[in-house]
Amino acid sequence: MMDLDAWLAKTKLVVCVGSGGVGKTTTAAAIGLRGALKGRKAIVLTIDPAKRLANSLGLDAMGGEPTRIDLSALPDAGGELWAMMLDSRGTFDALIANVSPSPEARDRILKNHIYRNMADAFAGSQDYMATEKLYDLASAGRWDLVVLDTPPVKNALDFLESPGKVVTFLDERILSWFLAPYERKNVWGGRLLAGTSAFMFKLLGYVFGKEFLDDLAEFLQDFRGLYDGFRHRHQAVMSMMRATDTSFVTVCAPNESSIDVARFFQVELAKRDLPRAGVVVNQVHRCDAADDDANAALGAAVARLSTDLPPATAATLLARLGRAHVRLRALVEAEHALAGSLRAAAKGGGFYQEVPRIEGEVHDLTSLRAVGEYLFGAPAEEA
Amino acid sequence: MDLGGLLQDRVVLVTGKGGTGKTTYASAIALLLAARGRRTVLCELDSQRPSLTGVFGREPDFHPLRVAPNLDVCNLTWPHTLVAYLERMIRVGPIVKAILSNEMVRRFLDFTPGANEIVTLSVLADLREKYDVVVVDMPASGHAFSLLDITRSALGLFRAGPVRARVEELRVMIQAPTSRMVLVALPEEMVVNETLETLARLQGGQLLGGKPIVVLNRAIAPSLSAAEKTLLDRLSAEAAPGDAEEFVAAGRWDRVLEESAAEAQTRITEALGEAPILVPPSGVGGNPREVVRSVAIQLGRHLGVSKHDFTWGA
Repeated sequence: MMDLDAWLAKTKLVVCVGSGGVGKTTTAAAIGLRGALKGRKAIVLTIDPAKRLANSLGLDAMGGEPTRIDLSALPDAGGELWAMMLDSRGTFDALIANVSPSPEARDRILKNHIYRNMADAFAGSQDYMATEKLYDLASAGRWDLVVLDTPPVKNALDFLESPGKVVTFLDERILSWFLAPYERKNVWGGRLLAGTSAFMFKLLGYVFGKEFLDDLAEFLQDFRGLYDGFRHRHQAVMSMMRATDTSFVTVCAPNESSIDVARFFQVELAKRDLPRAGVVVNQVHRCDAADDDANAALGAAVARLSTDLPPATAATLLARLGRAHVRLRALVEAEHALAGSLRAAAKGGGFYQEVPRIEGEVHDLTSLRAVGEYLFGAPAEEA
Repeated sequence: MDLGGLLQDRVVLVTGKGGTGKTTYASAIALLLAARGRRTVLCELDSQRPSLTGVFGREPDFHPLRVAPNLDVCNLTWPHTLVAYLERMIRVGPIVKAILSNEMVRRFLDFTPGANEIVTLSVLADLREKYDVVVVDMPASGHAFSLLDITRSALGLFRAGPVRARVEELRVMIQAPTSRMVLVALPEEMVVNETLETLARLQGGQLLGGKPIVVLNRAIAPSLSAAEKTLLDRLSAEAAPGDAEEFVAAGRWDRVLEESAAEAQTRITEALGEAPILVPPSGVGGNPREVVRSVAIQLGRHLGVSKHDFTWGA
């Protein structure tokens, strides 16, 4: 058994991963709130919160800035809870400013034709931008608990690889290879490239058009100065992800596809040596089996409460409740079997915790705290 | 909402939030169109673990595989899509090989923004020439937009040249009235939110020519009477219902399902201007093949196909 409060106490950074629609945002917010209740200064970085949850957290009023959540309704909260929503484009421009060696270099890039078209593609990769923002928040020194709610990604851990992709492409070797014909042209007034490279360039021109290659060369010349900045940044982000006080929490719901994704995440995290804290299964249905006593109690209660209602009501509702109970029990059994397969597959990957489906939506601090009670209240199994 | 338009469509993109049943609906629609005599190809996009395998019992490959009369399936994997694209542009096999064997070029292509989207769309256009209709099982709504948006953003990136010329052709293709999106939704707040956002982005037909179709999956039709609701409320309010609590909780659960289906239907109808297609829970458990069969029977009623008209695989 594992005490999740003890786990959270020694964790500084929590990254929630999992497929869409499994309550990842709720889990992230519940973890942040639990931290605040324990006296931490917590911030939750979220991508796309459900409207009512966002409203209750005061997220509707803000645009990409950390906002402090009013916890006065929870007088026992000794810490702070902050939340912010990811602003992809703003984060990307800030990143460029950050890695630029000078304001002039930054302005040249920001004005570049290729950059302006490419920035949308990169900023569109919310996963990459989320990692960037996470690094900012974690190194700001203002918070001692940072929780990230990751966007659902197509290929699992893409968000860790995007920064690497920039660094790989922009490494010195490929930059020199690509820019060689352009730079020599500048000096000698003609292309001196021979052999394979010249042939390849001709082919690339054939595929992409010469105009694009020229535009791209201009862009890469400006971008070259930013390479070191990108590389350092990437290394810093990766060491933050692997730090001992960082934890990845895999979140899923009890359905086949999301459990499948969760299993996949557990494997991929292990492969990359990323710290796995454990697995949370959200929205688990609970329903006890019924016996003769229950049937009798129901019959009596229905009879007593339906005297002023149309005569058939008692009978039809009784039949309906019976059918609903059978269906709900079947669902509970099916979920239990699925969760069992995940528990077996997650062995050695940290804790395993189930959170029951909350009746009504989680849309205020009180219900969010209730989720936290389930998540942290009972000692979790070790998977 | 009328599904009849699907019979004239050339490109059908099936999308929606994760876990809504995109693969099920893409498969069911493809089976029905094939049953109506349309030469149909059903594609997955660069899937590492293709979901169509569970439906058709065989893993789809880049090269279309026949799974039923008039129906082929495939998985448009990278770099096969890139090879197909380069072969179309260059038309000399050995030169394509030379390009792809150069490490610098490969890294360049890997990095070039939008390269994956352009070649994927280009391969879909090629398939559209070979078949009557291309049905695509998209990964998620967001990804669907990055595929469609590329026909706009690439025009900014490529100011002239062969890529631009191809992108212009692709833009004409997706703006044709026979190119359509089918959105699969569930009666859950977050899913409906995303569905409405997607509909808003499609408004005006700038991105995709055809009018979107929305399917509300696993929607339970309302059947609780007012008196039954009153009685259920009273049971819930009982301070100590004793041992009957599990029945009452099951009743409340059942009611929530019904009410969220009604709410989802109202919100979608408001945004779409007409009611979505409602499909009740299949009740056949987790076997993808059986779920597809059940959904195809439901949708078949809108397309004049009876359950005896479609068969597939072993």
